Amino acid sequence: MTDTATQPVADTAATDTDEEAVYDVPADATAYRCSYCGRPFARESWLALHRGLAHPSELDDEEVEAFRAAHDEEEESLSTFRLQALGALVLIYFGFLMVYALV
Amino acid sequence: MTSGRRRTVALVVCGLGWLAATGTASAHGGSLAGGGRESLTIPTWLFLSTGGAAVGASFLLASFVTDRTFVERIHGWGRPLSGGFEGILRLAGQLVGLGGLAAVFVVGFLGPTNARTNLAILLVWVGWWAGLAMTTYLVGNSWATLNPFKTLAQLLPTLDRPYPDRVGSWPAVGGLLVLVWLEVVSPLADQPRLLASVVAGYTVLTIAGALVFGPDDWFAHADPVERVFRYYGRFAPIGRDEDGLRLRLPGMDLSTPRLVDGPDEVAFVVALLWVTTYDGLVTTPAWRDLTTPIVDAGVPPHLLYPVALAVGFAGFLGVYRLAVRLSRDMSETYLAPAVLAQRFAPPLVAIAVGYHFAHYLGYFLVLAPSLAVALTSPFADPAVVPTIELPEWFGAIALASVIIGHLVAIWVAHAAAYDLFPARLQAIRSQYPFIAVMVFYTMTSLWVVSQPEVALPHL
Repeated sequence: MTDTATQPVADTAATDTDEEAVYDVPADATAYRCSYCGRPFARESWLALHRGLAHPSELDDEEVEAFRAAHDEEEESLSTFRLQALGALVLIYFGFLMVYALV
Repeated sequence: MTSGRRRTVALVVCGLGWLAATGTASAHGGSLAGGGRESLTIPTWLFLSTGGAAVGASFLLASFVTDRTFVERIHGWGRPLSGGFEGILRLAGQLVGLGGLAAVFVVGFLGPTNARTNLAILLVWVGWWAGLAMTTYLVGNSWATLNPFKTLAQLLPTLDRPYPDRVGSWPAVGGLLVLVWLEVVSPLADQPRLLASVVAGYTVLTIAGALVFGPDDWFAHADPVERVFRYYGRFAPIGRDEDGLRLRLPGMDLSTPRLVDGPDEVAFVVALLWVTTYDGLVTTPAWRDLTTPIVDAGVPPHLLYPVALAVGFAGFLGVYRLAVRLSRDMSETYLAPAVLAQRFAPPLVAIAVGYHFAHYLGYFLVLAPSLAVALTSPFADPAVVPTIELPEWFGAIALASVIIGHLVAIWVAHAAAYDLFPARLQAIRSQYPFIAVMVFYTMTSLWVVSQPEVALPHL
């Protein structure tokens, strides 16, 4: 690979030419395909998020609405995750603090 | 090691340890300096789990940054550097590179046979593999210009055969493994004549390759050294894009899509990490104990080392591919495994950089005065050469650099995941297998570091 081949690409996985190599959808799986670039997703909300992030200027009102809903839903699950991560950090910290005190 | 130094090391491990990984991977080429491994006052299991937990905790901390635009802004930050003198600098660099190569040949074959005073040994190990490699990731990749083999090849005609696409970068992967095997099993850092012969062999091979396929294709695909420096250079704050030189934040260019393109290039990055480990692993007592029965059973040691190198590499690659598969399952993505493997390989370069700096900064500083003396009088063979005595706190710098390497790797992988996946929680989940592997890798490296260093067994 050469340095010239590394220009940032807006969505790496969104080139139609090498679709076969880029995506790998199991035969029995449901895939929600992006109508703009054809990228498949396992969940509808991920497709909505993808449309908002990768094709923001091409969306119709319904898709914008779907992106907002998916985004709000994502925020909620993220705050749950943050709490869990914080809990894990506290456990690691105090766990090691105690172990170091004892050893 | 003095108790003061031990205390510093223990302090750093306790204080910073939980926040990030610690340890230094030992490497060869270090037979000139008394490359010391750290010995610790805390039990090994605690030392190892602290390092492992540190990597895990760094991941958790990185996962708190969920603002896409912030992540992109950090990676996109940069400004162009105007380069009016580039032509002159380029010529000067090429001349310096050629002069260095000539010095290695002349002094290597004709100079003093003492490794501590021979310019060829000092220039290759201290000046080039320690010093120049460090400037590559701290400043920018100057090897692209200095590379004397490329300069020579560009002066010669070429048959311009088309480089076979199918072969890709596999010759570079093989070349890296062969170079490290040579470095480990042969006294390349002790015998100037041998070193000069190996460099001569490498020169013939490289020029021949460039003659057949053209220097551009050969150095872009098949040359292992050029590729190591190119990846290290990706870590540097100064880089090159379409508009010329550009300033950016260290390590952030590793998240660029297509930096690693194809399974061959993934294999090269994994090989770069594996050889760092292999280098230290073969001088541990555990390696000696493990291989003694094998050698006693009649397996020739000269077969044992390359086989172990190849098997370990296959193991590392297998574990990485397994992590990619798991990551794909966890993030429930329909992206092909190859896409994930390519995007998550460049962060590993940051870890390799951290270990390289940790090991070679001290080595370089200790021997830099010897190199300076040898440069001014290449054929003299003084009885005493100056070296620098490193202060006690120096071990902390090595540990800190490993910490920073891991932090950058976790961050770059975080950014790459954000770029790949539309959902942020999906991006975080995709990292779980990689973090698990990284925790395991850190603990393995720390274990190697905490072992006493023994002479290479059976050879």
